[in-house]
Amino acid sequence: MPRIMLEKVTMQFGDIYAVKDIDLVVRDGEYLTVLGPSGCGKTSLIKVISGIWTPSSGRVLIDGEDVTSIPIEDRNVGYVFQNIALFPHMEVLKNVSYGPLMRDMPLDERNAVAEKYLQLVKMLDKMGMLPGELSSGEQQKVAISRALASGSNLLLLDEPLSALDARVRMELRYEIRRLVKDLGITVVHVTHDQDEAMSVSDRIVVMRNGGIVETDTPMALYRRPNNLFTAYFIGETNLIEGMVSDKNAHNIVVRLRDGTDVKVNGNRHFNIDDAVVLSVRPEYVYTAKEGLTAKVTQVIYMGSYWRVIARAESMDMVEYNIQRYENPPAIGSDVNLVFNPKMLMVYKRPTEGISEAIRLE
Amino acid sequence: MTTVELRNLTKRYGKVVAADGLSLKVEDGEYMCLLGPTGAGKTTALRMVAGLLSPDEGQVLFDDKDCTHLEPEYREAVMLSQNYSLFPHMDVNSNVIYGPRIKGWDPDESQEVADNMLEMVHLQNRKDAMPRELSGGMQQRTALARALASGSKVILLDEPLRALDARLRIELRREIVLLAKAMGITAIHVTHDQEEAMVIADRIAVMRGGKVIQVGTPREVFDDPATPFVANFLGQSNFFVGKVVGKENDITIVENDVGVTVKARMCPFPMGEEVVVAVKVGNTTLKHNDGFFMGRVERILYEGTYIHIDVLANGERYAAKVPNRKYEDFSEGEEVLVGWPPTEAKVFAMPPEGLAEELRLE
Repeated sequence: MPRIMLEKVTMQFGDIYAVKDIDLVVRDGEYLTVLGPSGCGKTSLIKVISGIWTPSSGRVLIDGEDVTSIPIEDRNVGYVFQNIALFPHMEVLKNVSYGPLMRDMPLDERNAVAEKYLQLVKMLDKMGMLPGELSSGEQQKVAISRALASGSNLLLLDEPLSALDARVRMELRYEIRRLVKDLGITVVHVTHDQDEAMSVSDRIVVMRNGGIVETDTPMALYRRPNNLFTAYFIGETNLIEGMVSDKNAHNIVVRLRDGTDVKVNGNRHFNIDDAVVLSVRPEYVYTAKEGLTAKVTQVIYMGSYWRVIARAESMDMVEYNIQRYENPPAIGSDVNLVFNPKMLMVYKRPTEGISEAIRLE
Repeated sequence: MTTVELRNLTKRYGKVVAADGLSLKVEDGEYMCLLGPTGAGKTTALRMVAGLLSPDEGQVLFDDKDCTHLEPEYREAVMLSQNYSLFPHMDVNSNVIYGPRIKGWDPDESQEVADNMLEMVHLQNRKDAMPRELSGGMQQRTALARALASGSKVILLDEPLRALDARLRIELRREIVLLAKAMGITAIHVTHDQEEAMVIADRIAVMRGGKVIQVGTPREVFDDPATPFVANFLGQSNFFVGKVVGKENDITIVENDVGVTVKARMCPFPMGEEVVVAVKVGNTTLKHNDGFFMGRVERILYEGTYIHIDVLANGERYAAKVPNRKYEDFSEGEEVLVGWPPTEAKVFAMPPEGLAEELRLE
């Protein structure tokens, strides 16, 4: 049985739909992330799942039971906020044992529960401290153990890492993933950070404008996104416009604006003269003797690799990676670029134009 | 022509030392990033350059002239903070033209500057909009245009992208650098985000505890970190603790207390010395036929360009980032050999306060 089911959930404020007609299933033990830019509706969605908000229409089912109009305090879900919401005057241990206290658990037992979860986030040695004496990363770890100690095996994380430093965020995301997988807990995690979503999730729900764009595993969304917006939002990609100039039984040929022909495997559903957009990740762009000619405008050392940025005569910008021990090309030099035909994605050119189709705000 | 120099700056708040003999020289037209965790003293340093804070000791120099006691408005620097601080009751154009106007520039000339700036930040068609009508990214671009319109030779950026979405940050950080470079101004940019610093900086000053612990190009600080902290802060590293047991052909051999040996770059430490070997996760190899020690794959995460693999070996956790085309080569639970090219691993003296304390992020 799915842990959470949303059926046609809509959240409306006046004329504005924060989310509209959302259907979603969260499987038992799954780590599901809801990812999207500001204003996409992801926060509204988690507030509806938690019971902080009652949807304007639609149903929310948890473990098969309709909880649509049941408020958060009666739902048995653990909730962690972006702005760490610990009781500032209570020691760490008391903060974490607060949930068990509310369930009338005797003192010994609730302290044992609290200590167990503090141990799991490696904060046991700080159980006597006040939140203000901890760093923000430590405070968020306490908030997570408090949510878990409440006895729920359903954890809702509302941008739990957004307030933290980048480097702390990176450490903590792996720790959270490890913790919930060890405990077998089901998680719904909301974030705008695609790197974070990629490293913690079993599946990612990509949202935009109050709707779901697509839902899949991190690998599938990275390698084979169904939607141009997903290709752009998750990972990095080059988007290059062209027209289908030829097709045969196995592949199509896309002619770019400067006249270069690019072979693409599959994609038989496109027809000659269709306006299309090619999407190719930087690691699948290679230099060759012939190909799309471009002038190198920028070279950046990324640590694990060099990032080269080049401009074609058509003004298309193409980014690609070369290995860190290779010598990068000189700025201003010409390179010929080819694309891995197996890793190219082709989309129908959006009628509203590419920049509108990938607009973030 | 503007250089900025921080010379031996100290700033205390009671017992807290926010700047502890801080020295740094920023060259004319350079894009310098101050990178470090919260509490490193980055913002304190920036505010002393701006003149918003006076140091207890030390000097701030612009073009080699001592400006330590000069009021902010007489310095060549303008500050951009993470909360855009636009005038909420003024439209975009009025906000941008504000600096030139109070400086008493000719109105036509002021408008021309404002138009140029707005064009550079792609907001020429939103001139009449009020700040609240703009998205966060647009507000920050307006603030940037306003900061640059007043003709300052130095821009000080205090985590200018912190309040924005991750994807938008990537777009905007490039725009800021291109703009600063196009205008030839000197920039000092504070960030806690190592990737941001790597991408935008000419040089990075890594800060911690009110001090600059290393200054160099992104490549220098990434490939040749001065301390284990820097090795881990930029790009994440694996660490191996042991004693120097051999030195041959520019290679150091280090052995831990259960007899596992690894190889690293040549180091100045004598035989028998306790050391820490650091190697970036991106340079850590996982192979079935070659490596220094055996471990078990704990989990595999597909992160995009790279696969993140955690391996448990001898009770320690090692991480590796391998190219995504190798995804099929590994499975959870299997045994693999952990290794690295010796030239990619650097040997450090064991930090006196211990490795965990040295690596602490907060």
